[in-house]
Amino acid sequence: MNATPTIPDILENIARVIKGKPHVIEMSVVALLARGHLLLEDVPGVGKTTLAHSLARSLDCSFKRIQFTSDLLPSDIVGVSIFNRQKQAFEFMPGPIFANIVLADEINRTTPKTQSSLLEAMSEAQISFDNKTYPLSQPFMVIATQNPAEYHGTFPLPESQLDRFLMRLRIGYPAPEEERKVLERPQSLHPAEELCPLLTAHDVVGLQDQVDTVRMEESITDYLLAIVQSTRESDLLSLGVSTRGALALSRAAKALSFVRGRTYCLPDDVKELAPIVLSHRIMVARAQGSRQRSSEQAEQIIQDLVDSVPVPI
Amino acid sequence: MTFNQALRLTSILLAAVSFIGLTLGSGLPAWLAMLTGGGLIVVLLRQCAAGALKHLASHVSFSPAGWNLLVIVGFLGFWMDMLWVSGELLPAGIHFLMILMVIKLFNLRLRRDYLHLYAISLVAILASGSLTTDLWYLPIFLLYLVAGVWTLILFQITKSSEDADALPITGQSLQPGLLGRVTPQLFWLANGLALVCFGMTLAIFFTIPRISAGFYQKGFGENIRTSGFSETVNLGAIGPIKRDPSIVMRVEVPRHALHAVDRFYVRGVSFDQYDGKSWTNRLGYRRNLSEESPGMFIIRGHQGPAPSRLGDAIQQNILLEPLDTSVLFAAPFVENIRGTFPAVQSDFAGSVYLPFPSSSRIEYSVVSRSHPVLPADLRSEPTVYPESFTKHFLQIPYTSERIGKLAEDMTRLQRSPYEKAHAIQTFLIRNYRYSLDAPLAGVDRPLEEFLFFRKTGYCEHYATAMVIMLRTVGIPARLVTGFLATEWNEYGSYYVVRQQDAHAWVEVHLPHSGWVMMDPTPPSGEPAGDVYPAWRALERILDNVKLQWSRFFVQYSAADQLAVVRELKAGGRSVGHKALDSMATLFSPIMRLLGGIPDYVFPSTRRPQGSIWGLIVVACIILFGLSVRRIVARAFLDKKIPHEDHRIVDLYKQMIKRLADKGIAKTAATTPLEFVHIARVRWGEANLAVASITELYCRARFGGIPLTDEELGTAEDGLRQLTILGRP
Repeated sequence: MNATPTIPDILENIARVIKGKPHVIEMSVVALLARGHLLLEDVPGVGKTTLAHSLARSLDCSFKRIQFTSDLLPSDIVGVSIFNRQKQAFEFMPGPIFANIVLADEINRTTPKTQSSLLEAMSEAQISFDNKTYPLSQPFMVIATQNPAEYHGTFPLPESQLDRFLMRLRIGYPAPEEERKVLERPQSLHPAEELCPLLTAHDVVGLQDQVDTVRMEESITDYLLAIVQSTRESDLLSLGVSTRGALALSRAAKALSFVRGRTYCLPDDVKELAPIVLSHRIMVARAQGSRQRSSEQAEQIIQDLVDSVPVPI
Repeated sequence: MTFNQALRLTSILLAAVSFIGLTLGSGLPAWLAMLTGGGLIVVLLRQCAAGALKHLASHVSFSPAGWNLLVIVGFLGFWMDMLWVSGELLPAGIHFLMILMVIKLFNLRLRRDYLHLYAISLVAILASGSLTTDLWYLPIFLLYLVAGVWTLILFQITKSSEDADALPITGQSLQPGLLGRVTPQLFWLANGLALVCFGMTLAIFFTIPRISAGFYQKGFGENIRTSGFSETVNLGAIGPIKRDPSIVMRVEVPRHALHAVDRFYVRGVSFDQYDGKSWTNRLGYRRNLSEESPGMFIIRGHQGPAPSRLGDAIQQNILLEPLDTSVLFAAPFVENIRGTFPAVQSDFAGSVYLPFPSSSRIEYSVVSRSHPVLPADLRSEPTVYPESFTKHFLQIPYTSERIGKLAEDMTRLQRSPYEKAHAIQTFLIRNYRYSLDAPLAGVDRPLEEFLFFRKTGYCEHYATAMVIMLRTVGIPARLVTGFLATEWNEYGSYYVVRQQDAHAWVEVHLPHSGWVMMDPTPPSGEPAGDVYPAWRALERILDNVKLQWSRFFVQYSAADQLAVVRELKAGGRSVGHKALDSMATLFSPIMRLLGGIPDYVFPSTRRPQGSIWGLIVVACIILFGLSVRRIVARAFLDKKIPHEDHRIVDLYKQMIKRLADKGIAKTAATTPLEFVHIARVRWGEANLAVASITELYCRARFGGIPLTDEELGTAEDGLRQLTILGRP
């Protein structure tokens, strides 16, 4: 394995493009190493697409971008069969999903039918077409961006699909001085294109395997389960976190420990990740009507719950 | 150890404790005890042993049909047992219960089986409680209590966790941290609960009046057979029991009243008529004593001198074992008697009786006054007694010249009755040999045989000889039977009176002093076996503990409880005091023994107060016990956390405590690194220490990476630094 580029190098690399958001960058790398998919949710124009692009560029991986629109069809994602005259047979033409990193831009602008065509790919890492199964290449990561659901002309993602994203990140506006740096930077149409790849696909798979060896002590597993359990018992939520959610939190915690250079998890990892890994998997009870956006509200509820679960000593 | 394993183990333990209780209470025949014990051992081996033993033990089993057959056979056996073998419900029921217990032990599968086992063990421990009032029941019961608390807690935990698993939607309703192992917290919680239960039981025992005391207490164990206290006593009746060491009573004497009496006479009955072979009490007509105040009986008007000439009052507390006689024993001569009796009777010779023999232990207190020989009697002339008096106390079965001559010879030189009596006493003590091997019972005239031929005998012969000789020379006398206590228990300040202490002596009537005690029997000559003085001391301590146990637990009556309640109401001594006193009395001999240790160690040097030493020794033992338990708890209860981790976890906890003392508290939901951050913001100087301790803690605790001694040292240094640093 190529030992020269380390995790901090990658983070630094991306940070050259995305200013003032080290946390978001770290989390997106965590999602990658945890073999998870990333959902970026925020208002337009804060750098969602750029982040995805820079992450893809930092890796020497194939990268495809799908702009989701209301008239996008499943075949536009998965691929089509074309009749090959020479061979006198139908031939499968792979769609843009056959890439290591797929950027699904504005995923909630397309119809649920098209959204769900991503489903199999995201969970099974394979595509079934015409009774044939085509495996996707590894690593495979979907980075989806979406505008908050309250905006006009959007189709909210079904719960089953939301559950398949490892984490949901909000980027937020940069701090004023960071924003100034963005403006003062030499203007370029595609800042991400300037990045040079540091890791190969093979390297990424190797790192993912290493994440699996991170130790999670029993009491931390208990702590994690206690957090999950608290979401199921909370009166503020009408739907708690599923077992897949618990699994996701566990994997993400391991990846975060790895990213931070440890070979074991700490309660801190679990606690820090809980809001972003769990908040999109729950349903806030209707009575909680407030002017806050639902995603922020969900994160706040998870944060409050986490703050009430005792940490093992 | 997982909860399920622990539950099985404590369940077996529970069953074992109740079985031990029954066995000790001798409620089981030998074959059943062997069978049940064997079953318990096999089940235990199956649970705990490893390798071949376990393999072997797991082969002991039957098919389900076999077990059912066994139950049916056991049930039939129960009926046969009840109808023909034991003939009673309780023993037969106990036998059947043990068979059921063995069957259940081998078939612990469902929760129901566990509950059945608990019910069986509960009935068994209750039954064993009804079989005995002995001291050994206390530790057994304590053990049962601890095991019971453990079992019920574990049962509830495993049950709720299983219930939670059965409901897929709610998932684990149990806090996940509880799943899995027996933690030290649980260990202490369970034992603490058991102790609290025990404490509350004691409090209730001492305060709440009982409805019925000892339902089963009758009928187990027979009354001790005594001889020498009935209306008529054959000469030589006491002999056979002089070798019986069973305890008849304990006579407690106030410590301060103690003036080194190594021979303490306990008077029973007196006899006035001798027919040549046996003594009869013709003055045995009993009248009821008047009850001065509830439970207080006073003896008035029996022949004796005026109160001003009486000796010292002797206060005694007597715990009488169930005897086959209704005589109430006490030091001579009884003035008043206090006890929870419906009535007390006395005859004209001053002996005290109950209306009928008691079938259980009784306790009563007596005030006695001895009759010393007054100076006036030392030189007094013989007086003439009325006929009603001489009829009884100068009676002689037949005129024997030899005895008359002997008596005359002895007393020719003396004038006063006292001197004459003294001369006869001295003669008997000097010239006759004490021996228990003197079968004079079949002889025609045993008294002559003793006086002139064998010249060996025991107390009865001496006393009879003296009485008859006194009567021959015209001095009124009577024979008294009772006990001569020589065994002083210094730990409880009481005399232990055994069957073998049965004794007979003489009471002589002197013109001024009244009835005066005299004993013509020489000391037996057999030295008490003081081969192992330490062992003797231990025996005496144990006996004292038994006495206090009997007094404060077995004999603790509704009246005592009412007294406690009354005291509570009156705002007097609290229950706690009384309970503490009981405890203190119970354990004081142990303390005193421990206090005595320095006597042996530093016999000559000046030493501090004994009880202080005792306290120190006890404290050391407790500390040692605690530390051992901690090590045991660490080693066995939580195997997954290696030992050195505990060290750093302890250090980490200490660090948290130090910071909390400085006002930087860690809430339960604060993670280690968050806490480091909080500490850095609030107390910058401590940051380095806190961060390094936390880092080591996280690495060892969560990373499972063992720390080197050096790193542990660093952590300890950091902790020390936190103490040195000033306030944030």
